[in-house]
Amino acid sequence: MAARAIWSGAVSFGLVTIPVKLYTATRAKDIRFHLLHAKDASRISQKRFCQAEEVEIPWNEVVKGYEVAPGEHVVLTDEDFESLPLPSLHTVAIEQFIEAGEIDPVYFETTYRLAPEARAEKSYALLYAALERRQLVAVARIALRKREQLCVVRAKDGVLLLETLYYQDEVDVAKEPATDRPVATKELELADTLIDLLRKPFDPTEHTDTYREALESLIEAKQAGVSVSGKGTAGVKKAPTVLDLTAKLRESVAAARGRSTRDGESRARSRAKPPRSTQTKTAARRRDRKAG
Amino acid sequence: MRLPSRFEQQDVLDQLADAADGDFLHVGRNNVRVTNLERVLWPAAKPRVTKRDLLAYLVRVAPAMLTQAAGRPAFVTRSPEGLSGDAFYQKVWEQPPSYVKQVEVWSTEHDRARPLILIDNLATLLWLAQQGVMEYHVWSARTSYDDDVRGVPTDYGESRAALSLSRLNYPDVLAVDLDAFDYSGREAPGAEPELHRRGFDRVRDIAFEVRKVADALSLAAFVKTSGRTGLHVFLPVKRHYAFDEVRAMAQTLANFLRQLRPDDVTVAWSVKERRGKVFVDANQNTRGKSLVLAYSPRRHPRATVSMPLSWEALATAYPTDFTVHTVPDILATHGDCWGGLVDAKGDLREVLALAG
Repeated sequence: MAARAIWSGAVSFGLVTIPVKLYTATRAKDIRFHLLHAKDASRISQKRFCQAEEVEIPWNEVVKGYEVAPGEHVVLTDEDFESLPLPSLHTVAIEQFIEAGEIDPVYFETTYRLAPEARAEKSYALLYAALERRQLVAVARIALRKREQLCVVRAKDGVLLLETLYYQDEVDVAKEPATDRPVATKELELADTLIDLLRKPFDPTEHTDTYREALESLIEAKQAGVSVSGKGTAGVKKAPTVLDLTAKLRESVAAARGRSTRDGESRARSRAKPPRSTQTKTAARRRDRKAG
Repeated sequence: MRLPSRFEQQDVLDQLADAADGDFLHVGRNNVRVTNLERVLWPAAKPRVTKRDLLAYLVRVAPAMLTQAAGRPAFVTRSPEGLSGDAFYQKVWEQPPSYVKQVEVWSTEHDRARPLILIDNLATLLWLAQQGVMEYHVWSARTSYDDDVRGVPTDYGESRAALSLSRLNYPDVLAVDLDAFDYSGREAPGAEPELHRRGFDRVRDIAFEVRKVADALSLAAFVKTSGRTGLHVFLPVKRHYAFDEVRAMAQTLANFLRQLRPDDVTVAWSVKERRGKVFVDANQNTRGKSLVLAYSPRRHPRATVSMPLSWEALATAYPTDFTVHTVPDILATHGDCWGGLVDAKGDLREVLALAG
């Protein structure tokens, strides 16, 4: 989790104001690269270059321009931007309450965590409890990064989450249906059976980014000086690290705990045994061989 | 648990030296009747080991042995006629003497609670030997109180669910059982590999690897010989995780070792695939399973002992160095290197929090 708040302000809900901080709750784990000069692997930099004067220019001579026609720009300065209305600059103003299912997932953009500021715990808890009790989410507006965004606030696992939404005109779902063909009942039944076979609860821990893992292995191998053939990373042996181990230990505990919880108790007894200690009456002999 | 004092040990040893069949040994306030003292239990050991020798051995190693055994349900292997006779494995005893502590533990197999014994004093250790016990095995969970089981119930016999919530579902060691599957070439078809130098070197090498990994996780690691071909590495842990969870972690650790040393380590269940490698067995971390107790003798022709070792000593040690004859003197000279095991419990919650 990010340690630094990216925004601070207040959630306003009728007469109640709840001072909060906003933290990012999700983060894509992309592997970032630097661009280098192939010849000497030195860092390269981008420079602002004026196409008319053919010189490099400093940041303070840079303005934003909106292209209204090819080659024709309307220039906007900082003052122009500041004159725009951003009423909810430091508030999350709740406008309505709805059921979570009312919003199609296509509208969800980014998830943030809301944390109460000092002395705001009580009002924070009130909003949390109220949302949870009524099973509703709040629709609000927030100004983030100089842009007013629609968002929802919802209660999950003891935390108020804020999810920014795309505006309706930012979403481009099909304007006309991609299919309207009728299907045969028999085929539909077959599909039903297949679906039932693959039906199981969603467990995010089961899914990992295999491309990223392969890329990381490749980087580690190259760092370790292992020569890597150009064809994929199948041949790359990644030296496992203790960090890998601790992560895996956590996963294994979580999985074991999940199993125990589902069964109501320990499954120790139901486990199969290694073939060596086959269950026979010659128990003593078994012991002998066992601890060898 | 009650550890015998040095004076008490010497007193029992003196009694034992003069004891005749049918005599009582006065062990603290308890009396243990001993018979067949000249029966040869390990005829092939050099010199051979009689029941009197075994009892004397137990008296001499008792403080170190009881320290490890206290509070742990114990299973034993009995061979009343010695190594050449029949052997059977025993979990439950009918009306043992009053000094033998028992605890009712739910048995899923029998669908009721059964009394299991705890080896908590010298008299119990000697009484068991008198019953023909040659090997002592214990659980990796114990009933004893410590800060790490504050609030954890002590009802082990009411139901399976109660046992799952109790102290006996929370092991205080993560056991890494290392078995050499290097064959010497002299084994009968299908038999277990015999002890030989090359095989043991490989197990030892992997044990040091386990220690390195434990080190990196900030966990203490204690090693002992199994008394046969393998080594047991114990990572003492605070009792925050149940057997299922600890076993899962042990399996992860085993898989990690295999990743580190693919040519030397196997986690395969098929015995054929283990050939030439060290089998890392995580399944010992299962409730109801027992591993041989530290300092327990083994039913091995040479009267070997499951011997705790310092890591320095492991470098040059060989399993047959440690027998009923040699261990008491080694222990007297070098001290009990597992004495600190209970106080070295690592916190797996902190280990898990390490991961980013």
